Amino acid sequence: MIEHGPHKTAITLEVNGLPQFVDVEPRRTLLDTLRIDLGLTGAKLVCNMGNCGACTVLVDGVAVYSCLTLAVECEGKAITTIEGLAQDGVLHPLQQAFVQHDALQCGFCTPGQVLAAHALLARNPQPTEAEVVAGMAGNLCRCGAYRGIIEAVLSAAQQTGPQQ
Amino acid sequence: MPKVVKTTINVEGRVSEQFAIVEGAELPPWGEHEELGIVGYPAPRIDGAARVSGEARYTYDVQLPGMVYGRLVRAKQASAKITRIDVRKAKAVRGVVDVMTYENVPDIEMSGRQTRLLSDDVRFAGQTIAVVVAVDPYVAADAAALIEVEYAERPLVADPEAALAADAVKVQPDKPNNLLNGKPRIKERGDVAAGFAAADEIAAVTVRTPTALHNAFETHGCVAHWEGDQLTIYESTQHTFGVREFAAKKLELPMSKVRAVSTFMGGGFGAKFPGSAYTLIAATTAKRLRRPVHLMYDREGENLETGNRGQTLQQVKIGARRDGTLTAIEYSGISEGGAAMGWLPMLEGPASMMYRCPNFRSETSGVLTNLGPMAAFRAPGFVEGMVGLEAAMDELAHKLGMDPLELRRKNIPDTDQLEEKPFSSLPLDECYTRGAAAIGWERRSQPGSQSDGRYRRGIGMASQIWWGGGGPPAYAEMLLNSDGTATVMTGTQDLGTGTRTILAQVAAEELGLPLEQVNVTVGDTLQGPFGPASGGSVTTGSMTPAVRSAANDLRNNLCDIVAQMRDIPQNEIEIRGGMIYRRDQELASVREIMRKLGDVMLQGTGSRGPNPDDVSVVTSGAQFAEVEVDTVTGLVRVLKIVAAHDSGRIMNPQTFNSQIYGGIIQGMGLALTEQRIVDTERGAVLNPNLEFYKLPTIADVPQIENILIDIPDTKANSTGAKGAGEPGIIPTAAAIANAVADALGVRVGTLPITPPRVLEALDAQ
Amino acid sequence: MQPFIHIDVANSEEVIPLLDARSRPLAGGTDMLPLMKEGIVAPERLINIKRAGDLRYIRADEDGLHIGALTTLDELDRHPDVRRDYTTLAQAAAEAASPQLRNMATLGGNLLQQARCWYYRGDFHCWLKGGELCHARDGRNEYHAIFDQSPCVAVYPSDPPAALMALEANLRIVGPQGARLVPVAEFLQPPSAERRTLHTLAPNELIVEVHVPKGPSGSVYLKAMDRATWAYALASVAVAANIRDGRAHNVRIVLGAVSNRPIRALAAEELVEGQLITPELARRAGETALAAARALEHNHYKLPLTRNLVAQALRDIMAG
Repeated sequence: MIEHGPHKTAITLEVNGLPQFVDVEPRRTLLDTLRIDLGLTGAKLVCNMGNCGACTVLVDGVAVYSCLTLAVECEGKAITTIEGLAQDGVLHPLQQAFVQHDALQCGFCTPGQVLAAHALLARNPQPTEAEVVAGMAGNLCRCGAYRGIIEAVLSAAQQTGPQQ
Repeated sequence: MPKVVKTTINVEGRVSEQFAIVEGAELPPWGEHEELGIVGYPAPRIDGAARVSGEARYTYDVQLPGMVYGRLVRAKQASAKITRIDVRKAKAVRGVVDVMTYENVPDIEMSGRQTRLLSDDVRFAGQTIAVVVAVDPYVAADAAALIEVEYAERPLVADPEAALAADAVKVQPDKPNNLLNGKPRIKERGDVAAGFAAADEIAAVTVRTPTALHNAFETHGCVAHWEGDQLTIYESTQHTFGVREFAAKKLELPMSKVRAVSTFMGGGFGAKFPGSAYTLIAATTAKRLRRPVHLMYDREGENLETGNRGQTLQQVKIGARRDGTLTAIEYSGISEGGAAMGWLPMLEGPASMMYRCPNFRSETSGVLTNLGPMAAFRAPGFVEGMVGLEAAMDELAHKLGMDPLELRRKNIPDTDQLEEKPFSSLPLDECYTRGAAAIGWERRSQPGSQSDGRYRRGIGMASQIWWGGGGPPAYAEMLLNSDGTATVMTGTQDLGTGTRTILAQVAAEELGLPLEQVNVTVGDTLQGPFGPASGGSVTTGSMTPAVRSAANDLRNNLCDIVAQMRDIPQNEIEIRGGMIYRRDQELASVREIMRKLGDVMLQGTGSRGPNPDDVSVVTSGAQFAEVEVDTVTGLVRVLKIVAAHDSGRIMNPQTFNSQIYGGIIQGMGLALTEQRIVDTERGAVLNPNLEFYKLPTIADVPQIENILIDIPDTKANSTGAKGAGEPGIIPTAAAIANAVADALGVRVGTLPITPPRVLEALDAQ
Repeated sequence: MQPFIHIDVANSEEVIPLLDARSRPLAGGTDMLPLMKEGIVAPERLINIKRAGDLRYIRADEDGLHIGALTTLDELDRHPDVRRDYTTLAQAAAEAASPQLRNMATLGGNLLQQARCWYYRGDFHCWLKGGELCHARDGRNEYHAIFDQSPCVAVYPSDPPAALMALEANLRIVGPQGARLVPVAEFLQPPSAERRTLHTLAPNELIVEVHVPKGPSGSVYLKAMDRATWAYALASVAVAANIRDGRAHNVRIVLGAVSNRPIRALAAEELVEGQLITPELARRAGETALAAARALEHNHYKLPLTRNLVAQALRDIMAG
């Protein structure tokens, strides 16, 4: 049994492959911890109630809403945020596909979209259009970039080719 | 030498004469068949990488040393006077640095939606009544919950139709009938009675459209930061320079001491114009505390206070001769304005100008209620008004036994009936023809002849007209760096529309540089000259000629220098693809020339010239919708939308498509899923969230075919481009509603056309 | 959200002693955190059971299906045995919420989801929150009940439990006194004056397993929403039956999102039991299922909608 709180408590998170040390109350969401305490503002706060998808991050490779996840729950788990996708300044193929297919307008939902797509392709590297639609259904886009998003995910899947 | 010119500007139907200062010679427009190499071609947005990588810093993301977080506290009553507000417990919370209420907020007079920064006079549930500032948002929330408020409740009215009753509660004491301006707005031309008398058929419809919530994903708000006597305001805004002007005026600061920044912006859709209390509260609090203040709305506050597209009730009556010639249109409509209404959207716009009709009369009213105030929302009035007009046109076609598309084609206007001027361009016929071919219009059935199976299909269409030509004042500067790269600097902003990218394309085209060598800064009043508000679809029409003018000035300066360096005539020099030529002979690259000059920076300035006097500049188009109605669940699925819009020259087909797609999907939301739900007895909005305010999901999105009309409007301005932000949303809901009527054989007159409404319509059949 | 103490437990045994009226177990968090953010619940201690590995499994054997309470809706939807033999459950899980929420939400938590009524979730001290009045009853009630079972007209929002009822599933619940087995149909009860929840779990108890008896030959879940996906049901229907010789046996019809709990449509079941279900009989079954329903001011549509869904589900199950 491990007990934290109710006051601030020191925890270690693994974010984008690096250990991060933060002092947080147990009630602090992973989203607020990433944004406020770690300055990783790629994940966006839009609804704060799990109704939009803009705060999507990967926890142990699984796409979750970080606004409904507590930071203290994530000790010992690998967290991937949008800032962790590009390698050495080169955009991830999915990010490139989002740019090439104009799968965004204002871009506020985009980090969440890209990470949801990342989780989708990790599980299903060659999805059909219907599978892309089903897999991306947890991310709303108010600008209406959905057609571009579908194209971008399909094209990124094609580029990476069938995986073993 | 700068020139002062007088020009007519039309923003969303509001026409004004303005003085504008124009620099340099007006460039001859790029011709209809001008060979351009960058403008007009698809190009990925130049800020795409920043937006997909999480590196783009939006206002919400701004973090500054010592920054504190504000939280807006909302009234729970819809109509009340606050008799006591006690913040002692809130202030006692560790980490709280300030609490503002009407008792201690600076006394700054406001216009429009609010009369004071914070007030004890509560006119809608959700009105901001206090602001808590703390070292952390959680602390601010804890403290907000401890504020004690006592209200003297007053009666309320939260339904616009009820607000029109003679004995209705008054929302504002000085508006006895709850009408904006105390009376309806009446517009009239010709003789409507005579027109109806001359008609062979008359159709009349009643339609309702819902209150729609913008739900830009970034909420309203700002971060205010003082460095000495210099104020910087980061704000999620559609008008960066407007924020500067507003703050300087209200805080009595010199404009030179105020900087406004909006480099990345998470959507606006019309609601994010400067002038709200939060900017001033943040600025004054930051000054007092000597700490930067982050003050952003949360989702609920956003949906309750920062604006909406007010619900409408519309009655449209149209008469026509047997051959389809319209003889009269009579339009009446009300638009809900909430507790404060600055202006009445032009609901009657489509009925008054979409089709040729000599006899027209409209009566429109803005109605006040104890609900959150309205704000502009992407083609305000026209989206709603088009639903009414196009429903009536379809009903009229049915009565005439005429194809609905033919009826529209027959009545394409030959002049702007409001301005009494010819249009600069109005390729509606082409939009109809190409759109009809793409949807397969001939498959459209006669109403009522649908199959009895589970799924019923239907096809409908609607037209679009809107402004979007832009105009002065709009300025740009360009710098050519010593490595041959160029920077466009202007104080306009990119809401996500792709403005940065098309400005880079225009600059590269005019200057003769490859696109990769041009960068653009927008959204910072210290990094470029004045740019207009991004509303009314004006940014492209206003900014691209200004940038072209600046690029041309820079190009001339560069040619002058090359002419002097090489001792050749200036007029024989050409620049293409980053290379400098004397006629066809290659001289050097721009980069080489600039390197030779060492630490030098060539400059160019430019401005938007005046609008033409003799023509009316509009955008126009049509959309066609095919829908499938599930008679088991009542769910309407849009299978396909075909869009054909004239926005003049298409600067970048890729971002143009995104604009049109985005408009279509928002229009589909209004047609099928989106509506603010109000408990009118209690004056409470029940769905100020994304759980029960239903935005379209990726699974709701149809196949979309956007036909590029792409006819440069050479009379409009020097690039021939017009706006695309609003045209795409204008006909969508109307076209879908008509397609559903085609599918069901009965019209669902109240939008959104939800499963409950479809099932009730089927039940009644 | 009020501050709280967060306790991680490693297995289900450690949980029970920690549970009381002032603590809550935390699993997927997809409803607990919204309830806490809205201030509807404010536990002093949150017992994080997500690391209790012994509660996350799906086991199919001759006895049926054993599902650990921490199994996510996503795992349920993707499990080949569930998809093949307990189709209604897989479909209900797949139709629930969004991919991310299904990754997070557990079946145990899903059973305990509180009402999504906008008054309950909003700034109203409604009856279900311990107040005097159900605001929805005379307010806006388009998403509310058509079978009146308590002072509250909120509907039970979760999808999988209706499927579980059609499959006659039981819950294994542990508490200080040990384990008890209770049918889902009994576990989900309308709220009462003393118990303002849509379920009967005591504060010191935990759902540890869902047991689904060996499935019938066919089952289906139909859900109507007001957009294509990611919405609570306007109404839903779970049907399970053994189809032999073209006739339906042991038919179970459960209506979702029409009342405080999923409702067995017993009269409709009786009507079609042992019958060859023609489209006409399916239609009549729909009417029978809704015979006792009464619409509120804004939800008349739910009557034809639920009728349609029952008929469609019966047609679908006959079609295989």
